[in-house]
Amino acid sequence: MKDYLISMFVDNELNLDEKIEFVETVHSNKPFKDETVDLLDQEKLLQTDMVTAMPEVRMPVIRTEKTGLFRLWFAPLAGFATAMVLVAAVFLLRPAPMISPDELQHRFVIYHPDVSKAEIVGDFTSWSPVPLEKIGNSGYWSVTLNLPAGEHRYSYLVDNNRQIADPTVLTHEQDDFGGKNSIINVTAAI
Amino acid sequence: MNTFRKFYTENKERLFGYLLRKTGNYHLAADIMQESFTRYLERYKDRERSPALLFTISRNLLYDHARKNRYDTSYDEEQHGLDIDQENAYQIKEEYKRVLIAMQQLDEEEQDILALAVSSDLSYREIADMTGNSEANIKVKIHRSRVKLKKILQQERL
Repeated sequence: MKDYLISMFVDNELNLDEKIEFVETVHSNKPFKDETVDLLDQEKLLQTDMVTAMPEVRMPVIRTEKTGLFRLWFAPLAGFATAMVLVAAVFLLRPAPMISPDELQHRFVIYHPDVSKAEIVGDFTSWSPVPLEKIGNSGYWSVTLNLPAGEHRYSYLVDNNRQIADPTVLTHEQDDFGGKNSIINVTAAI
Repeated sequence: MNTFRKFYTENKERLFGYLLRKTGNYHLAADIMQESFTRYLERYKDRERSPALLFTISRNLLYDHARKNRYDTSYDEEQHGLDIDQENAYQIKEEYKRVLIAMQQLDEEEQDILALAVSSDLSYREIADMTGNSEANIKVKIHRSRVKLKKILQQERL
């Protein structure tokens, strides 16, 4: 008898023929059925939470070529960047409609004319990428998000997931994964 | 998204689960996990993210550690039971200590492949490749380890 079908069942490894064989054996053979139930119970025990707390992992900082690229396009665009801060500020000063009182609208803008995709990841997106929209042919990308007031960390991902810090924000920090995050403090507009 | 952070988030619990089930030692598992992600990031950061590669790195680190410390996984159960109780008193949940003590009584290969099957979310094919078994062989071995663990847990209950 192919007892190992039980483990393959537990581990989701059965193909269709094996599933037929497994179901038929479960029906015709009581010890096989009992063993299956026992091992499923054991698997529940094996898979329960083992620890009260996961250990911390510290990642080394890895230098990548992105620093060079960053500098290349940063210099001519510093002026634009400053302008965009002002634009962002203007947007921030508008009354924010229909958002919860604890959240504030924040518009993120970057200038990246030569990429086909731009996304933002941050603590406010649970570090999942949220796409930015292209603003016509201007080379600018933007997205407006609702964030709780306070300090936030984020960075942009452009083409092939190249991670870049926000050039319009001066406060940066190296993250634990070899990338660089920007830090902003979002406060209510008066 | 292909960043290392996502890879790390998706795999840290699986990897730690494997290491803890394999070693029964919280601090050793934490150290090897740290070293595994560090090596992966240092040496393979430009490669496609592969959980199988991550687990292979961890297994190799465990073997290095065992060689260096002449750490014998088959030392007697009484001593090991004591180890798990004293060294990991706060980090490992009470009810799970029993399972880990039972896992340590499997022989090394059984412990390894069962810890991989239970924790890693890797396929039998990948586990077979990693452990140098055929696919036909690995399913028999995984099952045999499960059944043996059941017997150990039953004996302890008596």
